[in-house]
Amino acid sequence: MKNPDAIVIGAGILGACSALSLTNAGFKVLIIDRGTVASGTTGAGEGNILVSDKDPGPELTLALRSRDLWFEMQEDVGDSFELEAKGGVVVARSDDSQLMALAQSQAAHGVITEKVDSKRLHELEPYLHPELSSGVFYPQDAQCQPMLAAARIIQSVIARGGELVTRSKVLGFTIAGDSIRSVKTSTGEYAAPIVINAAGTWAGEIASLAGSHLPVAPRRGFILVTEPAPQYIFHKVYDSDYVVNVASSDADLQTSTVVEGTRSGTILIGASRERVGFDSTMNYEIVRKLAAQATSLFPILRDVQLLRVYRGFRPYAPDHLPLIGEDYRVKGLWHSAGHEGAGIGLAPGSAALITDTILGRQSFMDPAAFSPKRFAEVLR
Amino acid sequence: MSASTGADVSFTFNGDNYEGAPGQSIAAALMASGVRELRATRFHKEPRLIFCGIGICFDCVVVVNGVANQRACLVEISQGDQIVSSK
Amino acid sequence: MIAIIGAGPAGLAAAMTAAENNEQVVVIDSAPRPGGQYWRHLTKVEGYKSARSHKYFTALQENEKIIYISGAQIWSAVQVDDRITLNYLAAGIESAITVQKVILATGAHDRAIPFTGWERPGVMTPGAAQALLKGHNVIAGQKILITGTGPFLLPVAVGLAAAGADVAGIFEAHSPLRWLRSPLALLLNPQKSIELIYYIRQINKYKLRVRFNRAVIAFDGKSASIAKVDTELRIKKTVSKIDCDVIAAGWGFTPDVTLGGILGCKQVVDRDGTVIFAVDGEQRSSVANIWIAGEATGIGGADLALIEGRIAALSALGLAIPARLRFARYRSQKFATALQVSYPVGNGWQGWLRQESKVCRCEEVSLGEICASVSELSANDARTSKLFTRAGMGMCQGRICSRNVSEIIASQTQCEVTEQERIGYSNRPIAAPISLGALSDGIK
Repeated sequence: MKNPDAIVIGAGILGACSALSLTNAGFKVLIIDRGTVASGTTGAGEGNILVSDKDPGPELTLALRSRDLWFEMQEDVGDSFELEAKGGVVVARSDDSQLMALAQSQAAHGVITEKVDSKRLHELEPYLHPELSSGVFYPQDAQCQPMLAAARIIQSVIARGGELVTRSKVLGFTIAGDSIRSVKTSTGEYAAPIVINAAGTWAGEIASLAGSHLPVAPRRGFILVTEPAPQYIFHKVYDSDYVVNVASSDADLQTSTVVEGTRSGTILIGASRERVGFDSTMNYEIVRKLAAQATSLFPILRDVQLLRVYRGFRPYAPDHLPLIGEDYRVKGLWHSAGHEGAGIGLAPGSAALITDTILGRQSFMDPAAFSPKRFAEVLR
Repeated sequence: MSASTGADVSFTFNGDNYEGAPGQSIAAALMASGVRELRATRFHKEPRLIFCGIGICFDCVVVVNGVANQRACLVEISQGDQIVSSK
Repeated sequence: MIAIIGAGPAGLAAAMTAAENNEQVVVIDSAPRPGGQYWRHLTKVEGYKSARSHKYFTALQENEKIIYISGAQIWSAVQVDDRITLNYLAAGIESAITVQKVILATGAHDRAIPFTGWERPGVMTPGAAQALLKGHNVIAGQKILITGTGPFLLPVAVGLAAAGADVAGIFEAHSPLRWLRSPLALLLNPQKSIELIYYIRQINKYKLRVRFNRAVIAFDGKSASIAKVDTELRIKKTVSKIDCDVIAAGWGFTPDVTLGGILGCKQVVDRDGTVIFAVDGEQRSSVANIWIAGEATGIGGADLALIEGRIAALSALGLAIPARLRFARYRSQKFATALQVSYPVGNGWQGWLRQESKVCRCEEVSLGEICASVSELSANDARTSKLFTRAGMGMCQGRICSRNVSEIIASQTQCEVTEQERIGYSNRPIAAPISLGALSDGIK
């Protein structure tokens, strides 16, 4: 492609959504990826589009808007990535006071919540353990097939004049003064005044190549995939510990149950979180722990067999908020990374924030909370 | 088409009665009785029989006494087994 | 104590060698009866030198130095310091065994390549037809057609014919003249010529029809389409249709490298494209205290597996390897190489398929869907295509189709399948399905 208006680094979901958003705003976009479409974290995720696991604050505002944008994007791109508002059921294991307090504050900020008693809980999820008696239903929680979503969105970008170059590894940048001029890659040098860094867990390396710094680190997660089974699980079901763990800063292993069915009949069981760098060694004790937590929620799963285990790396920032906005050193370099386990859900909103800021137009929220500049002082 | 003798293990498959020899796999006993479909596939409902025959391909999976996805080529028949096709 | 994984020729030879040298061994095997894929006799059957398995079977049952655990599927393994723990399932119950040394003799299964209609009832691997007959006394169908490539087709055909089956023909994709490329291998292994003569006599005895440079390229449920193929398996012309209810199609073998992969043993790609383990002259893997013997170090047949099993056991006991054993292995390895040279599986089979032909049996994924993942969704490697189409994501975990999908994607994107990709699709962290209940109950 000659003279793109913008270059997006990364063909995962964040790159795809940014590319679509910019394309729809009239930009000619070139997407490059060192691997192929959805070959990083996007390809190792469940496709969560959740509002239920966010505390009130900027991330919840982003999540709520993103959730609506997902359905708008489906209108735009076509019904082709298994987007489904399946709803989430959060189950209180014992004391439900923390969960109920969270639900109440979320409701005050626009989340649709339904506190459910034992009878309603088992109507929603008939195979839940009979002793579980309290929870919250979040009808807005949704899911998509994230690899298909990234691919279909990129397909639309290409159909609208964009281009995708795969197996293109970023080697460096040309920066004139303090402004970005071009991206040097293994497949050639591409010039553009705007570069979006949506490189997921590698976003920090990209920033370093531009002489800047972005504090993105990997947090390892395992997901169990079972054999195809009859439909035992009807929503995304998780226990209330999940919300606590997502926000945890502890480097040690945390596991909390997330169980859901898929269209192909397999059941996905998460979610573990550990900070162990890019170590992809298998840990069978984590596998056992995840299995035990899932079967304690759904005893019927005891007879269902485990087929495989995914290992993925969630990119995260020290304060657990995504990094969305212009680099604090290099003008024209924009970041959209560090969404941790929520990248799929937050992608379209993140893309809209960047496009709106580039165009200087009012966006749906103030993006300041996500600005990479928040780490500028710390890092200097 | 069976060369086996001493058929003295009785079991049911999709509700019908069958017999096989001790030590025979579910697939072998059923094929010896002329069965040509162990299950129908999940998406296109196409018939499947055995393929690899040695437990690698999982094409012959059936429900054995309520436990799903058992490989008919490996699991030996037991007296009174209730076997149904995976759907 | 040494754990030996697999009770085929390599594992049995290793067990007997170790036991003869007064070492306690435990043999863990997934099948209900010993013998692996090669020796699976329920009763005495026709076959070259089939009787030599008996001494091993007897040792397994009677030698008090050998503990034999049958019907046990190892689903995971962990090495911590100098101890290796093997977690296995037997009759749905999980158990574990911890040892210092392991000999992996995990064998191989038939390689299958797709053709239109290969998912229909009646199409199976020669190994399946063999297992039904030898292991269960069942003839697979009324009229059996055998196709593919390699000398293993002959004992399958002869065994079936001897049991009274109607064998409609053997359609071997290559010409026997290809053996002339490997004169040294033939000279070093005169006993193989005797074996061949045995099978030629059997073929004449049962009046079996053998056709070379032919392959079954489609099955409509009632009849098989036979084509003349070139050395790359490209169709030269379709020659005939033959009515049959069983097609046994085998295209060489795929070694089972799952367990060694979990334990971190170094893998390499063999000249035939299969992923095998790198071992040294004493069958030692790259990981301390793990030896590997038999097909998982390169497809070579039972003779080579027996020798490798003995060498592995001697090495594991710290004993010297006799020079004659090393030479015997050298001879057999030459023969194994000649097999690969004589019976290659080219990529011409891709031309047999139609857009709607199934490639992944488990998830029912067609060639057209795989091609669309490349042309429409920009997948340019097999991993991405598999994530889009679910090819290779089903119950078999890609054991049957992964290699074929990778070859198709490589053709579609005009690339070669890389070594990294071949090793990638051959490895699985969960070696066998295990119920979530068993997993939960196993928490320490």
